[in-house]
Amino acid sequence: MPTITLSAVRKSYGSGPPAVDNLDLEIPDGSFTCLLGPSGCGKTTTLRMISGLEPLNAGTITVGDRIMDSTVDGVFVPPEKRGMGLVFQNYALWPHLTVAKNVEFGLRVRKVKPAERAERAAVALKMMQIEWAADRYPAQLSGGQQQRVSLARMLAVNPNVLLLDEPLSNLDAQLRLDMRAELKRIHDETGHTIVFVTHDQLEAMTMATHVVVMNKGHVQQMAPPMEVYARPANTFVARFVGSPPMNLFEVGDDAFTETARDQVLAARPDLTDRLTTIGARPENLRLLDEGDQPPAGTYVFEATIKTALPTGSSWTVLVTAGDTELYFVSYTDVHAAPGATVRCAVRTSDLHLFDASGDRLPDEAADAALTEENTATWAS
Amino acid sequence: MAAATRSPDTAPPEADGPAGTRLSRLRYRLSVLRHEPTHLLGILLVIALLYLVLAPLVAVLSDSAQVQHGDEGQARQDPGSFTSYYFWRVFRSPVARILFWEPLLHTVVVALGVTVVAVVLGGSMAWLLTRTNVMGRKWLSTALVVPYMLPSWTFALAWLALFKNDSSGGQIGILESWGVHTPNWLAYGQVPIILCLGLHYYPFVLLLFGNALRRIDSQLEDSARILGAGRRTVAGRITLPLMLPSLSSSVLLVFGRILGTFGTPYILGLPVDYSLLSTSLFRAVNSHQRGVTAVLTAVIVVVGVLVILVDTRLAREQKRFITVGGKGAMDRVSDLGRWRRPALGAALAVFTAGVILPVATLALSTVSKTPGVFRADNFTLKYWVGSDLPGAPGFPHGVLRGSQLYEAAWNSLRIVGLAALICGVVGLLVGYVVVRAGSSRTGSLLRQISFLPYMVPGIAFAAAFLSLFAVRRGPVPALYGSVSLLVLVLAVTHLPYASRSGISAMTQLGREPEEAAQISGAGWFTRLRKIIIPIQRGALTTGVILPFISGLKELSIVIMLTTTGTQLLTTLSINLVDYAYDQMANAVVLVIALVSFLATYLTQRLTKTNLSSGLGG
Repeated sequence: MPTITLSAVRKSYGSGPPAVDNLDLEIPDGSFTCLLGPSGCGKTTTLRMISGLEPLNAGTITVGDRIMDSTVDGVFVPPEKRGMGLVFQNYALWPHLTVAKNVEFGLRVRKVKPAERAERAAVALKMMQIEWAADRYPAQLSGGQQQRVSLARMLAVNPNVLLLDEPLSNLDAQLRLDMRAELKRIHDETGHTIVFVTHDQLEAMTMATHVVVMNKGHVQQMAPPMEVYARPANTFVARFVGSPPMNLFEVGDDAFTETARDQVLAARPDLTDRLTTIGARPENLRLLDEGDQPPAGTYVFEATIKTALPTGSSWTVLVTAGDTELYFVSYTDVHAAPGATVRCAVRTSDLHLFDASGDRLPDEAADAALTEENTATWAS
Repeated sequence: MAAATRSPDTAPPEADGPAGTRLSRLRYRLSVLRHEPTHLLGILLVIALLYLVLAPLVAVLSDSAQVQHGDEGQARQDPGSFTSYYFWRVFRSPVARILFWEPLLHTVVVALGVTVVAVVLGGSMAWLLTRTNVMGRKWLSTALVVPYMLPSWTFALAWLALFKNDSSGGQIGILESWGVHTPNWLAYGQVPIILCLGLHYYPFVLLLFGNALRRIDSQLEDSARILGAGRRTVAGRITLPLMLPSLSSSVLLVFGRILGTFGTPYILGLPVDYSLLSTSLFRAVNSHQRGVTAVLTAVIVVVGVLVILVDTRLAREQKRFITVGGKGAMDRVSDLGRWRRPALGAALAVFTAGVILPVATLALSTVSKTPGVFRADNFTLKYWVGSDLPGAPGFPHGVLRGSQLYEAAWNSLRIVGLAALICGVVGLLVGYVVVRAGSSRTGSLLRQISFLPYMVPGIAFAAAFLSLFAVRRGPVPALYGSVSLLVLVLAVTHLPYASRSGISAMTQLGREPEEAAQISGAGWFTRLRKIIIPIQRGALTTGVILPFISGLKELSIVIMLTTTGTQLLTTLSINLVDYAYDQMANAVVLVIALVSFLATYLTQRLTKTNLSSGLGG
């Protein structure tokens, strides 16, 4: 099983800024890697370049030790020779062929004998629990069933890499949940390398072993999902991953942010000249009751409640502290009425610190060591 | 791998950089092209179409400004030298009035008249069909489009069979034989041309208006009524303004058609020397005035292109306020009440004038010895199956007996059939390239070029083709009189319709089905054979059949390009008119009408498509 390597890859359509520019990416063998980002960030382009459907303007793509694209060596392997599998957002089943014929197609062009062909197709259909529909035409199936067929079609040829382009975005919420479990099962059972494109952070967080956050054609961060959540590499990732998104505020505008900076710098004097932006996740902010004594290392501030929005399991509360608006998540009922002044607290170690260019500032020594350890384990 | 991978310096430092040298990048791109023939195919199509569309027009322009052989004396210049003589002759000389100015005036008058007739008939019928509960709505919506399926000059021949007087050759019309004298202004020229073309083109307006009426969001009308506007105010302030785009479009497109139409003005105008630009051009071609032909062609082309450009411009500007209702566009009909029957009567009157009357008149004329006499001994089948007809030395046998009809039918079948086949396949390929090549230059260029022939009025395109292929040019031999010339010109002129349907079929399908096959390991030919063509079978069939039906009825484009060996059904009928064998000309037109109607009907049945949407004409 191969590792997919992209180096110095550039792709542009017409004039305007390139869709993907100077992209370096290593997708580990056997991983379930999610390309995550807002629309137009270049994630689908990246996937299509890996598949060969989109030629590069410059750069190199290798799978294992096989060069697929290289503008250095002048090599291009066409998509039909790459032995990959791709599932499309709209399934792209062939309407004129039955489900069985759809699944057999790839085997047929590989000149597999009819008997073996039928058997392998049946196995793939069975794996996707859609074998009962073998003789139907795609138009007779629901969206979720079509998606299963399209997964079976991909699995039947036993590809070395599975590519999925937002495969769940056309399904309803329940089906999406089922298919997530299904995809995770396929990954566990087959051990295939899976590259999965999505703009849905929840999808990425729940399924992936590795998340690649992209924006404007550049990789912002590549890390295991929890790492991306816990230690976002820059303000873009910080804002994009997590719901509701992280509160980010520039320091030094008013009393609230100034105090916050002073608190942080008291513990981290080394960051004095570099700290520009502070981030706090809504779930790390806490409302203090009367008489609560916050522990040491906690930043306590006064805020005014604007609104409290129930979401069922929790409340999303919007408060203002000075000129800064902050969201926080409360798991107990917020009794205070809008306009009431409350005391809030956040542990300074839970704060995320960024410099002027938006990059994450180094964590404290202990954390830094932990990060390295983490990196070492999953990159091996 | 580090957590943050933004640094650009991870690429291996190489002498020629991570992108490779210019040569290695070129090798990469060539390798891509080798495996993905779409762009190559697109470029080939672009070159072929550019040659077939632009080269004739360039040839015409150069002919118009060069002294032609035989004109040295008049132009007082050597053959081949640059001259403004032909422009002078067409625009300023003493004969300019006959050559150009009168035909231009006639063309404008006829176009205006036809537009009025077509908009009145088509507009009112469109309203009846889409917005009222007129009796027999469904049947009428098919029946009222039939006049557009008949060859356009059917009406002209029927008119003559009714109104012809004894001032021109051949048999007199029914009225005259009843002793009712028909004056020339009623029998020939302006009035009958306007009425006949109006009857042929009203379905065109009906379709345009009908679509527009259906698309208007009825919520727009409802909101006006809720705000207190009465029925009349709504019609005047809301509905009519929303219909303006289709009105301007109808006017311009009908005008464009009139520029290029030949049969009707030829048949009805000739006896009284009433010419339009198209017949004036035909006369110039027939009298071998190459220079004058070229100038007239250029003028018609320029006007035709202007008409289309103005139309697309208007359409684009009007897009700003056209509201295409998805949800609100329901089937909102007003109850005609006691007017239901009279409305049906009006629609039936239009149907009678547009279909029953002309066809019955023609049919009757082919079986009558003396027109309009209903006695048993006056009926005869000799014009159909007789032999040794007196006074018809060129065509001694009835149309079904002699060989001319069968030869012409065979020619029509193979020439139009081949052209339609080419048209359908190329149309689908254009769609394939446009969709596959996406937003690349090849794709958009091809889309525009395949649309070009639409802008050139038919008869002018034929004249331009004649001017290019009459003589050997470089490696291209003289094609005049050959089957291939007819096939080419028919294929090119019908390509806009075929490629439009090809593009819409391929756009609807999208790229994914083919890409899925590609990922599954199928090469280009396998993909085309196993995926694209099977899925697009239906689109391909209509892409062939629609040009075929329209080509069968085509006259303006082929009239100058056929010779005795390549006579088609349509040109045979005009030939018979020339010889004043009216009954036999009528018989041939009936055969064409029958064949094209049957083909249309069968296709509609077989493919379950609505042909009215693709009628090119």
